[in-house]
Amino acid sequence: MNAVEPVPPYLAPGRDLRLDFFRGLALWFIYLDHVPENIVSWITVRNYGFSDATEIFVFISGYTAVIAYSRMMLKDGWLRASFRIYRRVWQLYVAHILLFVAFTAQIAYVSIARDTPQLIEEMQLMGLGQNPYRAILEAALLKFRPVNLDVLPLYIVLLAAFPFALPGLLRWPWAVLLASFGLYVASNHFDWNLPGYPDDKVWFFNPMAWQVIFYCGAVLAVVAPRLEVFDRRRWSTTAVALVYLASAAFVAMSWHYNALERLIPDWLARQIYPIDKTNLDILRLLHFFALAWLTRLVVRRDARFLSWRIFLPIRRCGEQSLQIFCVGTFLAVTAQIIVAHYEESIVSQIFVSLAGLVVMSLFAFAAHRIKHSAPTKVRA
Amino acid sequence: MMRWAFAAVVAVTGLWSTGAAAEWQCRAAKDLLDLGNPLEIAKTAVAEERELRVVALGSSSTQGYGASNPQFAYPAQLKMRLEKAMPGVQIHVWNKGVGGQDAAEMVERMKTDVKPEHAHIVVWQVGTNSAIRRDPLTKFAEKLRTGIDIGHSLGANFIMMNLQYVPAVVALPDEEEYAHAMADVAKEKGVALFRRFEIMKSWYNDGMPYAQFVINDGLHLNDFGQKCIAKLLSQSILDAINPRQLTGAAKSAH
Repeated sequence: MNAVEPVPPYLAPGRDLRLDFFRGLALWFIYLDHVPENIVSWITVRNYGFSDATEIFVFISGYTAVIAYSRMMLKDGWLRASFRIYRRVWQLYVAHILLFVAFTAQIAYVSIARDTPQLIEEMQLMGLGQNPYRAILEAALLKFRPVNLDVLPLYIVLLAAFPFALPGLLRWPWAVLLASFGLYVASNHFDWNLPGYPDDKVWFFNPMAWQVIFYCGAVLAVVAPRLEVFDRRRWSTTAVALVYLASAAFVAMSWHYNALERLIPDWLARQIYPIDKTNLDILRLLHFFALAWLTRLVVRRDARFLSWRIFLPIRRCGEQSLQIFCVGTFLAVTAQIIVAHYEESIVSQIFVSLAGLVVMSLFAFAAHRIKHSAPTKVRA
Repeated sequence: MMRWAFAAVVAVTGLWSTGAAAEWQCRAAKDLLDLGNPLEIAKTAVAEERELRVVALGSSSTQGYGASNPQFAYPAQLKMRLEKAMPGVQIHVWNKGVGGQDAAEMVERMKTDVKPEHAHIVVWQVGTNSAIRRDPLTKFAEKLRTGIDIGHSLGANFIMMNLQYVPAVVALPDEEEYAHAMADVAKEKGVALFRRFEIMKSWYNDGMPYAQFVINDGLHLNDFGQKCIAKLLSQSILDAINPRQLTGAAKSAH
C-alpha cells in the first residue's frame, strides 16, 4: 500500500465513536417508534422524511462487520474469520429465540394475570393460535416472526451470507457494490422475498432488498478515503442532498397538512407512492444517503460532542447493540400494554418512553461492566 | 452553531407535532354507511342460530400490514365490536387477507378460503391492487361477478369493500372508475357495498390529514384507520341486521 494514501476505516486504529453514537441513537428511535401513537416519537427521523432508524441500524451493521472481521481475515485467514462470523450469527440466533420466548411469555403473563383475553387473542392472531407447535418450529426457522421481531432475522441472514462476500469486499469493493445493487433491483423487479409463516406472510424486511444498505455500509468501510470523487464536488453533492431532504420533508409535512398535500400534483404523487418499506423503496434509500452524506460532513470522526458525558448512555447502547435491541423490543411490548391500559394519555406515553430509555441505558452500562471485567473480544 | 441547530430542530419539531396534536374523530355521514342490502342470510343466522360467521377476504389492508399489531387489523376489530353489540351471539371472523393480491387472485381462493368456514357474510376487500396494476376495467368487473357467483353458491351474503382513499390510490388517473365499476357490479348482482373510498374521502375533505389514518408508505392504513373502518363497517352491518328488532321478534314468537 502506498504510504501517502490515507488509511481506510477498516484498518484505522481506535474506535470510531460515531458508530456507537448513531447506532445507539437508532436503537433509541426504534424503541420510541415501536410504542404506538407515541408523542415522543416525534423526535425520530421517520417523521421528517422517508427513511427511518432501521436504515441507520442496518447500514452501521454492515460498516462494523467489515471493521470487526476484515482484519481478522487478513491476519488469521478466511476460515477463522468465517468461523467467528458464524459464532456471532449463532449469538444473534440465540438472542432472537430468547426474545421470541420472552416476548410471547410476557403477553401470556399479562393476559393471565390481568385477565385480559384480548391479549391472548392477539397472540393467536399472530399465528400461534391454530397450531402452536408448528408456530414454534417456524419460529426456529425464522419464518414465524411476531410483530416487531423482524429486524434480528434480517441481520442474521445478512451476517450469515457475509463470509462469502468478505474476500471480494476487500479486493473488489465496487464489484461487490454493483452485485448488491443488482440483487436489490432484481428482487424489486421480480418481487422476490423469502417465505414466511403463516404461508401468506413474507419477510417484512425483505433481506434481498435490505442487503443493499448493509453492503453500502460495508463498502464504505473499505473505500471511504477514495471518496474524493464526492469530496471534489462537495458543494454540489451537499446541495443535491439538501434539496432532496427538503423535498422529502415537504412530502412528510404534507401528510399532516392537507393544504400542502393538494400542492403535490398527481403525476408526481404517482412517482412517489407507495413508498414501500418491505422492499426498501428507492426514495427511502436515497433519503438515507442524503442524511448519511450530511452527517459525514457535519460529524467528523473526532467531533468533540461524541465524547460528551451526556451522550454516554446513547454510546453505551450502541456498543451493546444486540442486547439493547432485544431489551428495547421486549420493553416496547410492555410499553404498548401500559399505554393501552392508561387510555393512551400523553403523560403515560412520555413516562413510558423515558422509562424505556433509562432501562435500556442501565442494561447497556451493566453489559459494559460485565464485558470489561472479562477478556475483551471484537464484536460486530 | 450547535446551539442554533438545536434550537431550529426543537422549533421544527414543535411546529410539526402541533399539527398532529389535533384530535380527529372516527365518523361518516349516515348515507355513506348504507350497505344497500338487508343481509338476509346473516339476519337469519343471528336470529335463529345466535351465530354469525364472517370471512374477511382481501389483500394487505385486510391482513393488517401497517398496523402496529394484528389486533388492530379491521377483521379483529370488527369481531370485537360485533360481540359487544350483540351479546349472546357467537361471532366468528376469519382473516383471509393476503398482501398484494388483486381481484383475479382472490377469486382463485374464493372456494378454498370461504367454503370451509360456512360463512354467513363474506367481506370482500378488493379493487386497490387491481387499480394500482391497471387491470382493464372490464376484466376487473368480470372477475368481481365470477367471485360473487362462487360466493353465492356457497350461501353467503356479500359485502364488497372498495378501495382505500390514500395518496398512492388518489394519485392514479382512474381510481374512481374502479370504485364505480364496483358499485355497478354490486347493484347488478344485488350485493352490499361498503363504500370505504367515499368514506375515507369524506375524512380527508373534512380536513383530516393523511398522517392520521395512513402509514408513511402512503398506501396502507395505520391503527386509527383500521380501527375506524372496523367501527364504521360494524355500524353498517348492525344497521342492516338490526339485532334489536330481531330479539323483539324472537320474544314475541315465544
